[in-house]
Amino acid sequence: MKRLAILVLVLASGTLVLGQDDTPRTGSSTPAFSPVTWDRLVNAADEPENWLMYSGTLDSQRFSRLDQINAGNVDDLELKWAYQIPQIDRAETVPLVVDGIMFVTEAPSNVVALDAATGRQYWRYNHELPDDLRLCCGRNNRGVAILGETLYMSTLDAQLAAIDARTGNLRWVTQVAPYQSGYSKTAAPLIVKDRVVTGIAGGEYGIRGFVDAYNPETGALDWRTDTIPGPDNPDVKTWAGESWRTGGSASWITGAYDPDLDLVYWGTGNPGPDWNGDVRLGDNLYSDSVLALDGTSGNMDWYFQFTPHDVHDWDAIQVPILADIEHEGTTRKVMMFANRNAFYYTLDRETGEFLVGKPYAKQTWAEGLDENGRPIRLPDTFPTEEGVVVSPSVGGGTNWWSPAYSPQTGLFYVNAYDGEDRYFKRDEDYLEGENFMGGGGVRVGPSETYQSAIRAIDPATGDRKWEFPIQPRSTAGITTTAGNLVFSGSVDGYFFALNAETGEELWHMSVGQRVHAAPMTYAVDGKQYVTIAAGNVIFTFGLRD
Amino acid sequence: MRWKPRFRWAVPLLLAGLVVGLWTEDAAAQDAGNLYDTGVDRRMGEGHFQRRCSRCHGQDAKGNDETGAPDLTGRLSNANTRVGIFRIIRDGIAGTAMLPISDETPDPNVWQLVTYIESLRTDPANINLPGSASSGRQVYDGKGECASCHMVNGTGGRPGPDLSRVGERRDPDELKTDLTDPDKDLAPRWWTMRVTRQDGSVVQGLRMNEDTFTLRIIDDDDNLWSFVKKDIRSYDRIQDSTMPNYGPTLSASDIDDLVAYLFSLRKES
Repeated sequence: MKRLAILVLVLASGTLVLGQDDTPRTGSSTPAFSPVTWDRLVNAADEPENWLMYSGTLDSQRFSRLDQINAGNVDDLELKWAYQIPQIDRAETVPLVVDGIMFVTEAPSNVVALDAATGRQYWRYNHELPDDLRLCCGRNNRGVAILGETLYMSTLDAQLAAIDARTGNLRWVTQVAPYQSGYSKTAAPLIVKDRVVTGIAGGEYGIRGFVDAYNPETGALDWRTDTIPGPDNPDVKTWAGESWRTGGSASWITGAYDPDLDLVYWGTGNPGPDWNGDVRLGDNLYSDSVLALDGTSGNMDWYFQFTPHDVHDWDAIQVPILADIEHEGTTRKVMMFANRNAFYYTLDRETGEFLVGKPYAKQTWAEGLDENGRPIRLPDTFPTEEGVVVSPSVGGGTNWWSPAYSPQTGLFYVNAYDGEDRYFKRDEDYLEGENFMGGGGVRVGPSETYQSAIRAIDPATGDRKWEFPIQPRSTAGITTTAGNLVFSGSVDGYFFALNAETGEELWHMSVGQRVHAAPMTYAVDGKQYVTIAAGNVIFTFGLRD
Repeated sequence: MRWKPRFRWAVPLLLAGLVVGLWTEDAAAQDAGNLYDTGVDRRMGEGHFQRRCSRCHGQDAKGNDETGAPDLTGRLSNANTRVGIFRIIRDGIAGTAMLPISDETPDPNVWQLVTYIESLRTDPANINLPGSASSGRQVYDGKGECASCHMVNGTGGRPGPDLSRVGERRDPDELKTDLTDPDKDLAPRWWTMRVTRQDGSVVQGLRMNEDTFTLRIIDDDDNLWSFVKKDIRSYDRIQDSTMPNYGPTLSASDIDDLVAYLFSLRKES
């Protein structure tokens, strides 16, 4: 109770614990770790030595003000330490760093606390899982959120776990949804004021998606916003018959938040069954959309649906990036969104108004977008029993891999893939806890025969400014810094740095396994580091001493 | 693990086969799996596969490099008997993304899945080929001059794929296409890379590996080369096969014989 009282006091006072001085805490000169207040999260950009949330800051720009490592010296990077994750799986985690301590999630649903300067362990929390999980896409966990002295982690059995950041002790755990029905959780939650906002996975199991907000002290549900309308909502008419009940629209990646507008932005996934839309005729709201939710009540302020009646599994599960930019002579509060359907969008984030939309990757399914941003579909692009070839591929023009935005260059960076697949549909009945997909996609050619690149886009126009080709492709996230750098990785096992203005390659390191996560950067004792998960290893690099 | 009463007998059977060793896995598998290996079972198994397995392994079961799920249409790396396949589906592979199938899935459905997966590999015992493998061996060593480019069991040339077990990964129709239309479905490993160095000199060879920053080739003299892309002037990919089209040079019966020989090349042969 004493600790709780202190936490409440800290939250109420909004004290900037670290912000009072510029010296990052470490374990040697000062005690490592101090509580992370909501004010610290709002102003996370002001303490770039820390990485306080999945996307770095609430606007999800993945831009760090650190510039000790920069375009002039990045080729002096060397490995400082590596941490081997004991579970054999594909690391998709983005660590957090708080005052010299790094929090790393591991497959299947574990977390460790490391000394961020040495990679050596403070503690470990192993989440106990049942042996009958329903998972579409591997045993992944992408990171934690932190508020006060507590970490919040999604688990594969669809629980939200609250873990003491100092010891790894479990404080509480709450069941978000029944995993036996196909629900699971992989994404890092997002702290919004005094709530833990979190989504749900399971779009291939005929779930009904939602976005939830939990009390950080008790784990009690504060609000839930369904991502598929129910019978009390006229939008339910966008689902034929009772298909809304099993329509998917999961919410399996972390969103963004604007404190001034008090709006939470969250992407939603594919309607279900994925590839057979015959049983769910209509636009299938609010699947494949970005939702703007009131940060206090969870009420939907607006939505924008990128792919009405999706039949290709093109989830709108991308991290929305928020920024204020010049558009047609005026400063606009915008959201940038490179969608899996291969179109890039700039939206007004106050209203959801469509401002800009252009393909950023190869697409053969739409003639273009109309004045409201709705796709103008081409004929003969829906899946058939015999199969039809369409771009982008099932994996999309991009996927959940975090994009980034640099306010220095004014450019939006995304990992793009110009692939294609042959799309099939089949009849499939809904069975609770079983896959409910109604078809699938088959590769037409090897990935080496398609283009893959990091592309830099001007969000005011949607025009491409440069691209950096990748062979064979990338499924990694991106981080950009005030050092005029773009960091990312690739499936061929590289971690690399590009010039953020030009796309010129400045440095690369073979890390030996697929990079499937996004990089992050931080500083301890005045030294900047950059960290990436590759294969099952967390690699941390710094400048040569 | 929850076993359905109808198949409780399979537990001691499996244990006997696997642990005691009095029965081989093959014997146990035949006794158990044969109950569900009809054409109807295969179709049922395909349905189970599409619903439960295709998300990771692909609708065509050829694997997915994004999910890391392996190709199931050739020799399986983690199981080579029906019992082994059954066990992997039932139990999963610990520490990997291969999870156990739901306990609520009855054993007969799992056996139907096994039947479907087994059907993805062409069993030579079930195929009557028009050609003769022994005659094909003579074509291979003689006028086909195949050994100049390919190895079988450690003997032969290096420029082409090792064919020691080609019968496990290619069916007869695919082998015939390989011989008569070698550019079709050519894997990137067998593309030719033409590298122009800064001094203008050219090195050309088969594409052993290429990534964002580097590439490696083997030239006609079996020399191995590695290049950093930014250190060379340019490189070109030639996506044609270096293998000749045997359609115009071998008779139809020669090709049939060659297909029969190649299809016989497998671990057991």
